[in-house]
Amino acid sequence: MSQRVRVLVAIVILVALMGAVLGIEALRRLMNPAPPLAEVTLSPGDIPIYRDEQLVAGFSSADLDQLATVSFVDAEKGKLQQGWLLPDVLLLHMEADVLMPDCSIVVSSSSEGTSAKLTWVEVNNEANMVMLALTNRGTLKLVSLLEVLDMRDEWVVDADKIEIFSP
Amino acid sequence: MKERYFSTFQLILMALFAALIVVAKITLRLPIQMSGHSGVFWMAIIIVAAGVVPKPGAASVVGLTSGVIAAFLGMGNFGAINTLLSYTMVGVGADLALLLLRKPENLVVAALAGTFGHMSKFLVKWALGVLAGAPVGLVALGLAWTLVGYIIFGALGGLLGGLTLAALRRAGFFAYLAEKR
Repeated sequence: MSQRVRVLVAIVILVALMGAVLGIEALRRLMNPAPPLAEVTLSPGDIPIYRDEQLVAGFSSADLDQLATVSFVDAEKGKLQQGWLLPDVLLLHMEADVLMPDCSIVVSSSSEGTSAKLTWVEVNNEANMVMLALTNRGTLKLVSLLEVLDMRDEWVVDADKIEIFSP
Repeated sequence: MKERYFSTFQLILMALFAALIVVAKITLRLPIQMSGHSGVFWMAIIIVAAGVVPKPGAASVVGLTSGVIAAFLGMGNFGAINTLLSYTMVGVGADLALLLLRKPENLVVAALAGTFGHMSKFLVKWALGVLAGAPVGLVALGLAWTLVGYIIFGALGGLLGGLTLAALRRAGFFAYLAEKR
């Protein structure tokens, strides 16, 4: 086999691997359609937002166009974390008066089995930078400058549920 | 007495390359906000290691050793197993590519081997995420962009490694190594 053929075979394998990854990911997206609940329809990948255990909205990729991107450099590794502020996400889907100061906001990840519980006062304080940042997989992670969320093992990676509990 | 596959001198060289990967991962920071950018130096070291120890399996040993060191140092965001597997697969991927393509000093071969090695790391991280039940991404193209980042930086790293090997040959490093063996 000539070197040219070997290089071509390698490129074909590389393209096939890329196609397999993207194909499987597209299949996962098709095979996991979220059922429509009440008046809210969720698409695969959307993050459901519950208020007092009632599904009230879904955070979708279409919402990103309406939100401002924010960023901060994390103290642990000095990497730039870029995403969308959680209060902006919530206020996109509900009125501000629904979110009382002592409301609890719980962001959780079913795959990682992790969650973070914050009050609306903490979430709504822009200095805390409570935000949903994009992961390498295209999923979201909850990160913040807050002491309870500023280290990697405290982050909620692959977040797939947002819950709001009234006091 | 049966001759060992790797000489003691080669094992020492591979251990040094493995340590260099971990040190580079900890200390080098590129101001590029794109996934997989660390592949530039990562794959360069792997390709140089594969060229300096020109035996199938050398890159895998370097990957495995760096994975063990990184796992013990608590590196990576997804636990020790994820770290060990992803570091190891960088070497295994590059080794498999070099089994097919051979000479890592050829710049096209080096770039392709770098791409394969770095993509193997991406595949491990992605597969472990899928197996762990990670949700489908909010941004549909997020994964595709990450994949493109890994391929570009893997190829650049491989290219850098190939250029380094060529420079080492010009400087007479391989003649020096032959004497040491």
